[in-house]
This record gives sequence, C-alpha cells and structure tokens, in this order.
Amino acid sequence: MDFELSDDQRAVVDAVLALCVRHAGPKRAVELRNAGGGCDAALLEALAAGGYADIARQEGMGLLEATLVAEVVSRHAGVVPYGAQAIVAAGLTDQPLVGPVALAHDWDLGEPVRFAAHARTLIFGDDDGVRLIPLAAGDAEPVRSDFGYPMGRLVSDFAGRGADLGAGAHARLASLWRLALAIEIVGAMDAALSTTVDYLKVRKQFGRTIGSFQAVQHRLAECKVLIEGARWLAFEAAHKGAPAEGTATAAAYAAAAATRVARETHQLSGAIGFTREYDLHVWTLRLQALSLELGGVSGHRRVLAALRWGLDTDS
Amino acid sequence: MEFDWSAEDEEHRREFREFLAAVLPGDWEEIAQHGPGSDAQAAFSYEFCARMAERGWLTQHWPTEYGGKDADPWRHSIIGEECWAIGEPRGPQYMNVNWIGPAIMRFGTDEQKRHHLPLISQGKVLWCQGFSEPDAGSDLAALRTRATRDGDDYVIDGSKIWTSYANHARYIILLVRTDPASKRTRGISVLLVPMSTPGIEVREIPSVVGDRYFHEVFFTAARVPVSCRLGEENAGWDVVSYALQFERVGAARYARAARTLDRLVAICRERGLTRDPLVIDRLAEARAICEAARLLNWRVIDQRAHGSPPTADTQLARVAGTNADRHVGELALEILGPEAMESGTFADANFRLAMTAGVAVGATEIQLNLIASRVLGLPNE
Ligand SMILES: Cc1cc2nc3c(=O)[nH]c(=O)nc-3n(C[C@H](O)[C@H](O)[C@H](O)COP(=O)(O)OP(=O)(O)OC[C@H]3O[C@@H](n4cnc5c(N)ncnc54)[C@H](O)[C@@H]3O)c2cc1C
Repeated sequence: MDFELSDDQRAVVDAVLALCVRHAGPKRAVELRNAGGGCDAALLEALAAGGYADIARQEGMGLLEATLVAEVVSRHAGVVPYGAQAIVAAGLTDQPLVGPVALAHDWDLGEPVRFAAHARTLIFGDDDGVRLIPLAAGDAEPVRSDFGYPMGRLVSDFAGRGADLGAGAHARLASLWRLALAIEIVGAMDAALSTTVDYLKVRKQFGRTIGSFQAVQHRLAECKVLIEGARWLAFEAAHKGAPAEGTATAAAYAAAAATRVARETHQLSGAIGFTREYDLHVWTLRLQALSLELGGVSGHRRVLAALRWGLDTDS
Repeated sequence: MEFDWSAEDEEHRREFREFLAAVLPGDWEEIAQHGPGSDAQAAFSYEFCARMAERGWLTQHWPTEYGGKDADPWRHSIIGEECWAIGEPRGPQYMNVNWIGPAIMRFGTDEQKRHHLPLISQGKVLWCQGFSEPDAGSDLAALRTRATRDGDDYVIDGSKIWTSYANHARYIILLVRTDPASKRTRGISVLLVPMSTPGIEVREIPSVVGDRYFHEVFFTAARVPVSCRLGEENAGWDVVSYALQFERVGAARYARAARTLDRLVAICRERGLTRDPLVIDRLAEARAICEAARLLNWRVIDQRAHGSPPTADTQLARVAGTNADRHVGELALEILGPEAMESGTFADANFRLAMTAGVAVGATEIQLNLIASRVLGLPNE
C-alpha cells in the first residue's frame, strides 16, 4: 500500500504537464473548435513522440501510468481521445491501432459519439463481442455539438467488419472504458473547480472577495471531497488492472460527481461562466458529455450492483 | 503508488477475523446496537481487550518499550476497520489505544507512564474525554472549566458536557483553564483525573441516539494532586493537538457503513426488493460513496505511514466518512420503510448510530471550513 507517486511516475506526470502546457489548454480547445472542430493532431503526435500513447504497454509501466497521464491531458482540455487509445485500446489488444480511436457500442449507432467523425479506428462492442474496425470515408459524419468534444454520428451498420477480439473482450472493453471515463471526468472536474476557486479569490462583491463567503466556501469544499474521492477510486482501479467492479465503482462515483461539480462551478461563477471567452465551459460541458457516456450514472451503478452483490432486475 | 495489501497484512486481517468469530458472543449484533458506551458493550470491552492484549494486538502500533510491537499504521488500521465495522467490541477503549496512550507516552512523567500505560495496554481501563463544555463546542478554545493551584493540588470547578462513557470511566482526560487571566488556546492544561475524585458528579443526558450516550460531568472543588497534569502547565493545547493527530481519521465509519450496506442488501434480497431498478440504483450509489470514503481515509493512513505531518486531507477523509455513514443510515430507512420505526430493528438501530456522525468529534462545517482555507486556499472574511 502506497499512495505516493514513485519517482518514475512523478517524472511521467511532470513531463506530460510540461507537454500539455505547450500543446494543450482551454484556449487551444476553443481555437480548434472555432476552426471547425477537429481532433488535436499535434497534441496526439506530441504525446506519441513522448512515448505516452502506449505507456500502458511499456516495461515497468501500466494502466496506472496511462491513467495518470489521462488525468493531466483532461485537466488541460486536450482535444484528443487519449483515454480511448492509451487506456482502452492498450488494455484490450497488443495490436498497434491507427489513431485517432473512437469507442462505440451498437446502441451508440446514430447517436453523437466522441471523435467518431475524425477517428481512423473504431473499437466497436455489441452482443457478439468487440471488433477493431478501420473507418472509411462515409462511415461517420460530424455532429454539431457544444459539449466540448468533436462529435460524430456513425452511419454504417458495420456488420461483418473488423477483427473480432474474441470472448471476454466485451466486458473488458466496458471496464477499461469506465476507467478512462472516470479519470477524464476527474481531470475536468479538477480544472473546473480550480478555475472557479481562482476566480473567487479575486472577484469582489459587497466589498469582499466572494471566496470569503462561507456559504460559497462550503459548496466548493464539498466539490473537492467528491473530486478527491473520484480520483483515488480511479487510481486504485487502474493499479489493480481495471477490474470490472472497481471501474464501475469509479465511474459511478465520478459521473454523479461530474454533474454536481459542473452545476456548482457554474452557479458560483455567475454570468461570466457562460461566456465563450471564459474557460469554465470547456470543462463543464465536457463533464456533461462524459457523464452520459456508456450508460451514464445509472448504467455504471447497474453494473456495480450486479458485480458487487449479483443484483439485477431479472434475478 | 500501489494499492495492494502485503501478504502479512492480509494474513493479519484473516487471523483477526477468525479471532472475532471465536470471541464475540452469539448475541453480539444485539449488544452492538446500542453503541460503544452502553453498559453491555463497556462491560464486554474488558473481556475483549484483554484477549486482544493476550494476542499482542491491542497496542501493536505502540513502541516496544511501552508494550507494543512498533507495527505500522496500516496494521493498526486493519484492526480499526474490522472492529468498527462490526460495532466496536473494544468499546470505549479504542480511544485509549488510539490517542490517550500515545499522548501519555509523549508528555507523561515516568510515574504516569508506569501507572497508566500498562492498564491501557492490558485492556483493563476505561477512559472518557472531557473536552466539550456548554459554551465550548466547535469553539473548544472557549472552555472555562478551571483548575486553581492550591499548594501541590489543583482544585477543579466547572462542567463538561456530551462526555461519552463518563458513567463507566475510571479516568477522564480533562481540559481545564489553569491561567484564569488567559484567553483562547493559551492557559489551558490537561489533567488525568480519576473519576472517583470527590467533587465529581456525573449526570446522564437522555438522548435519542442510544442509552447512556451523553453525560454532563460536574466539578465542584474537586481536588487532585498536581502530579495528575499531563505536560507543562498552560501548554495543554499542544498536548491535545498532538494527541488528536493520532485520531486523524478516527473511527472507521466507512467500514461500518460498507458492512451495513451489505447487510441491507441481504435484507432487501430476502424481501424481494432487489428486483426494483430504483433500489439497485440507490444501493450502488451508496456503495460508491463508501468506497470513496475508504480511499480518502486510507490516504490519511498512508501519510502517517510515510511519517508526514497531518494535512487537511484528514478533513476530506472525515467529511467523506461522515457522508457515507449518514447516507447508508438514511438509505436503510428509505428502502425498508415504516418497519424501521420499530425500536431495535436493523434500520432503526443503524440510523440512530449514524445520525451523530456529522457532529461527534468535530462538526462537518468545521471540517469544510478547514478544507476551504487549507486545501482550496480561500480567504477568510
Ligand atoms: C455522539 C457524540 C459524542 C460526543 N462525545 C464527546 C466526548 O466524549 N467528549 C467531548 O468532550 N465531547 C463530545 N462530544 C461533543 C462534540 O465534540 C461536539 O458536539 C462538537 O464539537 C460540536 O459542538 P456542539 O455540539 O457544541 O455544536 P456547536 O459548536 O454549537 O455547533 C452547532 C452547529 O453550528 C455549526 N458551526 C459552529 N461553528 C461554526 C463555524 N465557525 N462555521 C460554520 N458553522 C459552524 C456546527 O458545525 C454545527 O452544525 C460528542 C458529541 C456527539 C454528538
């Protein structure tokens, strides 16, 4: 048992932080959106060049290190499917995939899916298993969305396409996906909260900084409790190799926390929080998107109850 | 960073669970319903703690020179989790081993150590904590109970309130003002006072939480020798701050909440309630809340295991633990419905144990204040 980062882990986190300061950030996310809303190819490339794209498969590294990186990338609002590649794809298969990668279930067909219109590989789950599908022109079309990521709609039915990953891959996909979601939510919540805290340390009304009002402080402090809980749940699940119950717990907790943190940070920021000029929306709208993915809060909870206690509505 | 228990720690937990199964009486669940201060539980604690001491477990985290084994904080936390989860068979003695003993080790005279530490490490003594007063709750430094020097004695006058276990305790660890001109945290001293001292009167405060939960303790010219003082005169605040570091995470509420939740699921299953998707949703929500609290508490144990000074992560852990406990307590009422109104039912007993979580050992709002200032760096008014 040890909650401290090892020296190697600290070095990874520091390096990715420096990389994100250079290549990512909320301004860059907004810029990309204004330019038509693609995936951040330069950031993906920088992450790959630094060896972070496949860090989970490197000697002495693993899912936990990928998770540490994913948190930093999310905190810096990277417009890249880092979790899908470095956590989900890396955990599912040893095959190198052509990125960007998008994740979808059969029930996502026709719905907005993160990165679908820009991905070159689709990791696709349905009742029969999981397939790795190279995407071709016409498989997906862009969807206009304000929820912080480039969204696309999958319009093919993908029947018979792609390499099947075999039995067991279906549950594994869901579990890794939940881990990626949980940590991306943590990064975005943390950024939303610190943006808000920083603002409330300087914004004055009634002759005092708003952050000195106790009614405000307690709401922010409660958000912090939620964020830290979500973070450690994700780290523990990552260290244990993404066991299904652990990732369902982490995702259930994080997705519920996400909507609360998004609501509170907006409320406490006042009108400026709704402007495009101010960074907050970059994270809060993403939080909504993330909290809806893969069955959302109730979906994660259903899985958790099934795994923890064998409960399901048919039993 | 890694989250695995060592094989030795796992073995320790297994062995301790076997021990619990062997020594807890058949009607333990019944006994444990009334809280660690009840007559039955206080009485059982002597038997239980003596047997823990025999196995070398009661004070294993103490230094060897005081009868411990220098076990790391993780080891001791395993005992804390297992005990608290099933309703604390150590009764009030968990306080002795967690922080009263360590405070005596650090600040006690040789005589105090020789007398008190063996009693504690053998499981033979109950203590109570005389901190809160009618006008000094969250604002503990407002305390007024005074101890006036008279030759080699102190004469104590004043009163304490909410004192758990006062009815059973042989000693009280008492905060008093020794400098009458002092204000706030200066001029306070700690006294280790026998409850048999003439001039001490204990009155139960009837409560809805359980029998014999709270007491008032009145001091009327209660005379004790100066040798009862722990630490320097007027430096008692430092003693308390040191002692309470050991109580950083305090009771393992998350462990109790998680176990109660498992029992709630079992009851729901028997009643055929677990096919209801709303029930499933709420149970899983509660599970995630308990798990988050567990990790935040473990984070604090880890800091201690690393020998780092306490941080406001302690407050995060406490708020999360309190939330978990109350959440599960309320959920059991909600799911089981009106049957919980009957005294002694599972949901009733559990709810009433959980309902004090946000106030006992420091109210949640105070923890939130500390998180706001120390973790978030928000300014004061
Ligand atoms: C089950 C139980 C057992 C206990 N056992 C003991 C014991 O053995 N020995 C002992 O000494 N004490 C004991 N206590 C007392 C406990 O330490 C106090 O209840 C606690 O510190 C709060 O004090 P109070 O009850 O006076 O509440 P108050 O301080 O009067 O607070 C009332 C409310 O006001 C809020 N509040 C107070 N100050 C602020 C502030 N600055 N900002 C925002 N909100 C604020 C509080 O959070 C709380 O919600 C026990 C209490 C309970 C419930």
